[in-house]
Amino acid sequence: MGGRGRGRGNAVSFNIEQLGFGRGEAGPVSVTQPPPLFPSLENRPLPLIKDVENEYILVTQKDLSTRMRNSPFYLKKSEKINSTSYEKELPVLWNRMPAELRDETFTKRLATGKSKVTLNAKKKKVEDPDKIFAKLEKKERNESEVEEDGDGKEDEDDQDKSDDEKVENEDDVEEDLDEEMDDHTDYANNYFENGEAYLEDEEGQDDGEAQF
Amino acid sequence: MSSFTLGHFSQVCSQLLNHYYGEIVGQVGSYLLRRGNRMLNDIPTATGLSIREVKKALAVMIQHNLVKFQASERNNNVAEYTMIHHNVYCLIRYPKYLYMIKRIYGTSEEILLEILLNLGQASASNVIFHSANRLNEANVLSPSALHQSFQRLAQDNFIIRCPKLAENATLLKVPTLEIEEKEKFAVPNVEIEPIARMLKEKATQLGGHCDSEIIWRVNHERFDIELRNVILVNAAARRVDTTAGELYHLILKLWRESSNPDSPVTTPVSYNVIKDAVRKNDSSPILLEHFDHYLRVLYEDSAGLIDRAGDAGGGQFNLDYSKVFENLACASLDSIVLERFGSKALRLFRLTRIQKFMEQDQMQNVAMIPAKEAKMFTYKLLEHNFLQIKELKKGTSNFAPVKSFILYHVELPQVVRTTLEASYKGLFNAMVRQMHDLTENQRLLEKHAMLESMLERLKGDGVPDEEIAELSDTMPPAEKSLVEKIHLMSDNLTLGQTQADETILILESYLKFKSKEL
Repeated sequence: MGGRGRGRGNAVSFNIEQLGFGRGEAGPVSVTQPPPLFPSLENRPLPLIKDVENEYILVTQKDLSTRMRNSPFYLKKSEKINSTSYEKELPVLWNRMPAELRDETFTKRLATGKSKVTLNAKKKKVEDPDKIFAKLEKKERNESEVEEDGDGKEDEDDQDKSDDEKVENEDDVEEDLDEEMDDHTDYANNYFENGEAYLEDEEGQDDGEAQF
Repeated sequence: MSSFTLGHFSQVCSQLLNHYYGEIVGQVGSYLLRRGNRMLNDIPTATGLSIREVKKALAVMIQHNLVKFQASERNNNVAEYTMIHHNVYCLIRYPKYLYMIKRIYGTSEEILLEILLNLGQASASNVIFHSANRLNEANVLSPSALHQSFQRLAQDNFIIRCPKLAENATLLKVPTLEIEEKEKFAVPNVEIEPIARMLKEKATQLGGHCDSEIIWRVNHERFDIELRNVILVNAAARRVDTTAGELYHLILKLWRESSNPDSPVTTPVSYNVIKDAVRKNDSSPILLEHFDHYLRVLYEDSAGLIDRAGDAGGGQFNLDYSKVFENLACASLDSIVLERFGSKALRLFRLTRIQKFMEQDQMQNVAMIPAKEAKMFTYKLLEHNFLQIKELKKGTSNFAPVKSFILYHVELPQVVRTTLEASYKGLFNAMVRQMHDLTENQRLLEKHAMLESMLERLKGDGVPDEEIAELSDTMPPAEKSLVEKIHLMSDNLTLGQTQADETILILESYLKFKSKEL
């Protein structure tokens, strides 16, 4: 391009001799398709080195592979319902790991029979139902005070209702959570470690209050 | 491992994880290799695994020093997980580690190391217990002898202590782990009697023991150093002869004892010190006699195995890792070019590398190769990125067409990186092919293995030969030869992987020391 428009316009920037062809000889064949996936091997590679070290390595490699495959650390995908705690199966040093990796043995969940269970969510549920119950009571009481309902009986009814609802909700939410796990992340449920905040949200949904 | 090799390198790593720890760990590992720091909750959605499986996979990887964690900044109760790339790659080198330990020490240390590799992280007592169990199958070995072997490994830094839990760690959701420099290789007191007792009772697990909080793991950096030393000693032996290799091995030991492992140049060691070491070490008589000559040959050699750094104490000698590994990397590249393109291409490549910048005409004249061939090979090398082009414009006249110099040069770091990628790719291909062959013919191989073990057992029981021959005929010879072929191919692929790993080590070391010197 450098020759165009400067001085005499018909000079090209390279000399045909520079490319190594004389006049009249054909140029190299142009490439019309991508290179083949397995190009032909022009020179055979050198033979593999087989000495004492490599013999040992062969044997050890097979041995090691077999051992690793049979060790408890080899995780296979199994279809069985994971009802046993894996902490006992995996000989891992659990006290050196973050707490979130630890398995929580659940005793209440066996009835559901689902193989994919979210453990963290369960942890929130099972955690101190009495305490949560007490908190709910307090909240109910606060709400009723604010609304000036002041009726003890109503409070009790509410409490009972919330109790039943809570039990129902556990099952409902459990399924909700599983569905969430399959589609989206249960990020929102797990991110807040605070069980209080979690169940307050639940409460709100039940009463049909506006959620933001 | 630096980010620019992540493409094929992470493929190799995920293949290794799949092979040794199963599909689940492989998937979680691949995700973390590509994405870096991640929290627990991001993983199940991206990989499609259940959170339970992800937790198990992370626990296994942390146990085997493949993943590290730290408390996330946003929320102290949640941890962020990162892969330790180098340790995952080192999975392929485990058989080499065992071979080195067996050669340097002996069988009991080899078994100790194997147990530690299988367990990932373990206390000294646990390792000794399991090793004694394994060795009892062959011959009886007392735990105290194993304890001494353990100490020997720790003294030479082949195993290292893991950081321990900080004092308040039990209160935190994400424990902090710390360790002091001086504690790293200190072996605690191990109570032998409980171990011996458990062994007599043929227990499968060691119960609680006094040093259960002091955890050990394999020290990968030390093994890397040892592998590099093996390469250097072999280079010396090939350049000169085996006695020179011996001498070089001794000198390497002296350097390692006196230098900082991170520095690219070792501290100088004087002639007299070397001479003392040679005499003390009970070396071969040839070495004692011709020690002077060997030393001179080694440091005058252009490979840079030994550099003379001064004259004090009869002569000061040190080693510049970057120079030596540059030479080794160049030698590797040379042999690659030779095997791929031929000796003429090699001449061009070496010439350009040594002369730095050359023009096409100059190249074909100095290399004494006919013009057309020279151009063809130059183009081939350029196409495969072994040569690079630099254009310099010449002439500022506005009337004449602009001519430019075209200079060819070899930009070594770039060429090394390309070759390294190609090596990873080759390694990956070999692994995939091997896995494919073994899984496709799994049924056949298992049948063959069962037949073999049955025959062994019968032979041991003293069953007559005709029956054994009859039984072995149940498998037709065609199948037997197929099994043979499969085993042979699998062995060849393993050997290929091992050799590819050696090249990778040389090229990686070159890049590592090159970046250190800058």
